[in-house]
Amino acid sequence: MATPVERPTAVRSAARTTAGPGPDGQRRRAPRLRLARRNQGWLYAAPTALFVTVFFLIPVLLVAQMSLSDWGLFAGNRGFNAPDNYTDAVGQRLFWPAVWFTVKYTIITTIILIGVALGLAMMVQEVALWNSFLRTSFLVPSALGLASASLLFYALYAPEGGPFARLLSDLGIGDGTVSFLGSPNAALWSTVAVIVWRFAGFYMLLLLVGLQGISSDVYEAARVDGANRWQIFVHVTLPLLKPSLALCTILCITGSLLAFDQFYILTRGGPDNSTITIVLLVYNIAFGGRNDLGVAAALSLIVLLALIVINVVQFTALRGRED
Amino acid sequence: MKRWTVARGLRRAVCAVAAASLLIGLAACGGDADQQPGGEATVAANPEGIDDGTKLTLWTRAPLEAQAKALVQAYNASHKNQVELTITPNDDYVTRVGAAAGSGNLPDLFAADIVYVPNWTEQGLFADITSRIATLPSVAEINQGHLSAGTYQDKKYVLPFVLDLSVIFYNKELYQEAGLDPDKGPTTLAEFKEHALAIQKLNKKGVSGTYFGGNCGGCGVFTWFPMIWASGEQPMNEDGTASNLNGAAAKEVYAMWRELYEAGAVAPASKEETGATWVGDFQQGKIGVMPYPATLLATADKSVEVGVAPIPGLNGGQSTFIGGDGIGISKDSKVSDQAWNFLSWLMSEDAQVEVLAKSNSQVSRNDLAENKYATDPRVKIINQVAAAPDSHTPVARNFQQAFNAAGSPWVTLFRNAIFGDGSSIDADNQAITEVLAQ
Amino acid sequence: MSTMSRPLLATSSRRVLTGALALLFLFPLVWAAVASVAPQPGTAQVDGWGLGNYARLAGYQAGLTQYLINSVLISGMTVIFTLVVSLLGGYAFALFNFPGKNLLFLATLAILMVPYATLLIPLYVLLNSIGLQNSLVGLALVLTMFQLPFATFMMRISFEAVPRELAESAYVDGCGTFTALLRILVPAVKPGLITVGLFAFLAAWNDFIAPLILINDSDKVPLPLAVANIRGQVMGVVDYGATEAGVVILALPCVVLFLILQRHYVRGFMSGALKG
Repeated sequence: MATPVERPTAVRSAARTTAGPGPDGQRRRAPRLRLARRNQGWLYAAPTALFVTVFFLIPVLLVAQMSLSDWGLFAGNRGFNAPDNYTDAVGQRLFWPAVWFTVKYTIITTIILIGVALGLAMMVQEVALWNSFLRTSFLVPSALGLASASLLFYALYAPEGGPFARLLSDLGIGDGTVSFLGSPNAALWSTVAVIVWRFAGFYMLLLLVGLQGISSDVYEAARVDGANRWQIFVHVTLPLLKPSLALCTILCITGSLLAFDQFYILTRGGPDNSTITIVLLVYNIAFGGRNDLGVAAALSLIVLLALIVINVVQFTALRGRED
Repeated sequence: MKRWTVARGLRRAVCAVAAASLLIGLAACGGDADQQPGGEATVAANPEGIDDGTKLTLWTRAPLEAQAKALVQAYNASHKNQVELTITPNDDYVTRVGAAAGSGNLPDLFAADIVYVPNWTEQGLFADITSRIATLPSVAEINQGHLSAGTYQDKKYVLPFVLDLSVIFYNKELYQEAGLDPDKGPTTLAEFKEHALAIQKLNKKGVSGTYFGGNCGGCGVFTWFPMIWASGEQPMNEDGTASNLNGAAAKEVYAMWRELYEAGAVAPASKEETGATWVGDFQQGKIGVMPYPATLLATADKSVEVGVAPIPGLNGGQSTFIGGDGIGISKDSKVSDQAWNFLSWLMSEDAQVEVLAKSNSQVSRNDLAENKYATDPRVKIINQVAAAPDSHTPVARNFQQAFNAAGSPWVTLFRNAIFGDGSSIDADNQAITEVLAQ
Repeated sequence: MSTMSRPLLATSSRRVLTGALALLFLFPLVWAAVASVAPQPGTAQVDGWGLGNYARLAGYQAGLTQYLINSVLISGMTVIFTLVVSLLGGYAFALFNFPGKNLLFLATLAILMVPYATLLIPLYVLLNSIGLQNSLVGLALVLTMFQLPFATFMMRISFEAVPRELAESAYVDGCGTFTALLRILVPAVKPGLITVGLFAFLAAWNDFIAPLILINDSDKVPLPLAVANIRGQVMGVVDYGATEAGVVILALPCVVLFLILQRHYVRGFMSGALKG
């Protein structure tokens, strides 16, 4: 792998061949080339720097400012009012219900999704044409966007004409008015089903990459020691998969904490505000009647801080266990 | 070498912060709404606005689709200006308008549920049309409820677009089958309950006595406020800052619906109905009697024999919720003279009688209530109740947040009262007051 | 063979079980395609099979073609911006040394740490103040920014994976750095470019919350937003048929692209993952 540290050597060697003999000639050329290269480096990185500054760093500063100001959607910035926005955000009628629901949803989704992905990965890890077909089928849902997947399941969950409803009534389950999205629990599990369908393939892929890192010698050794399938799985596979599992867990937790699309499309936070996630709450505060960008900004900063804390905790916990 | 890097980096950081503060300063100024440049001269010269082939954009919400389309079609056919109509699902409307208003991209004209109008008027989303309204020949006859909802600090911003009143619709065929008089709707809440139970006793598959939006705050205020008004009680205080929905009459109303629900006379789908489909079942002949929007008379007539009665109170009386949408010119419109052309046409007899009255919809002008199309006795009933002393358009700045928003405290209150054990009405009412008083 | 010498189940029953699982995953998409042309009450296709739902979608407000054009424009611009910026950026990070390099790279990766929602509200205000509100270009720029962490990282490791001899030979010939990039290095990092382009396209095509907030005109919305809006159009009845048709149109390019390119990027991902 070529690294920048080796660059100067390469440049110097190139300069040596083209600059002609004599130590003086070489030394004078190399620094100038390096200088020019450094400026050019900045030139190439400039578009990235521009994007990151204008569309990322400035908005981050702006959201911090907004969270400390009385900033209405129509009225604009009306001056500082710290820490009112934060107290308003936390004192919001739906703040704690949204936090509680988001956490509950995250835990359920992460456990089920990673479990399913692990199962799928174990199933298809061997090379075979059949497994190729299986892998592709499991991965096809990942081609869809989350919004498209939610719209698809919205139609699947149709209370009368939808296939699931018809299946249940054909089987005689329920009293004919089954509602997948109509009660808090049903709405939660129906949404979890959508996410599992959409993401199982992707996480399966990540775990397959992890499984590749386990050399067959380790399995051989375990088998020679007389371990059965289950013991091998628990004592050999799982520990060696830890980095991949850690990555999947972090991604899944972060994604679930920030859930928006699926709930906006499937339930809009209902019924009875039972499926409002934190980001949905931010959106409602900003644009849905209260029109208070300051409080919405404060709430979204709270989310950011929580996310940073959770990720740091995850990193240290998982890295600690690795050692 | 190292010093060079740090100096460079520091300089860049300083530049970045300077750029940031500049942009933030710009953004901070972004919220001011510009006033329309002096239009007094043009208003006087063109009381009906200008019709010069401009393209106008108009947003309305889905429940009023039929009337909106009819009006826009009639206007486009007879004028050079062309109106482009965009219909948004009811649930998305508030956020759509909010996001557009915040970025200065409101359409030329937009309609608003009359209960949102006070809030949006106060926030400056509509342009001031006081002087324009004054030039209308029919100004004294325009529905006062809607006009005052759109009045802020003595300036007028909104005209009535489509009036929507709540009345009792009943299925005449089902009434006949159940042995009820098909020409007489319920005249008290007790009778309403009886009729619904009688229809339910028919035990017809798929048919229920009544229906309501069990998860729909807007449907609730639209259909139950009249029951409370007709019983002599007020659901809110005068300036809309405190809630009185735990009053004696209100509690009776919840109790009645609770009894109906427990007796199985309410269609099971009502419980989770968010308002998207609350009018569907009646049109399919599956419901006996329910409070309903009068604007759908023509639509429901296509598939059901509809009987109409005013919404009664506990002991009689009649009342209706004078709802519907108000319409105004947005603060962002650059063609307000042309947009006014549409509004002044809207108030004319051509639009009110030839389009709205013709399709059995409500007219917004009191002098046109008696018109050549108002021959249907049911339309007469609707017009009558619109003028009844107990009929109102409630006005409150935070109406939408307290009542219509998904999961509002109002929804919590009536869901607890009807599906729960009904013990938290007072506490839930307090939550509504808190939101109203914000 | 990796773990087991003897399979748990006989091959045939294993095939049946896993096949059923695969069908379960494929069912929703297949059903959507079938149901969008099947008769269903309450839709535009009540009797018999046909394209009624698609026709309704085509005629809905600004028209299906307009929404498709919007989506194509947005996705296209996002892909182009992302490829250009990450190509140049990856080149810079991998093969140059300049002050502030690590800081910039970390700042780029930090975008992953900040939630969408936290950024969209100030972006909404920011775009307003620079006049890019309610515009496809503004939306594309925002979507590009969200792609940058993955794209820059991807291009950086692609450039770093280029054999040293190839890079050196470029400079030896006396090429400027730019010509070296175009003539020699770009072809070498093509797989990385394809991956970045594919991800950027998929993300932009499917994005929902950014257009929801940043686009106001109803004739500028991209397709996912339009399909979400069409659901509640018919009074009293949700139009599932139009929703299914919309989902098919949304999913079709994604699934096709995925199937064509999966051999490329899944195999890249999996190189060495499968033991023979």
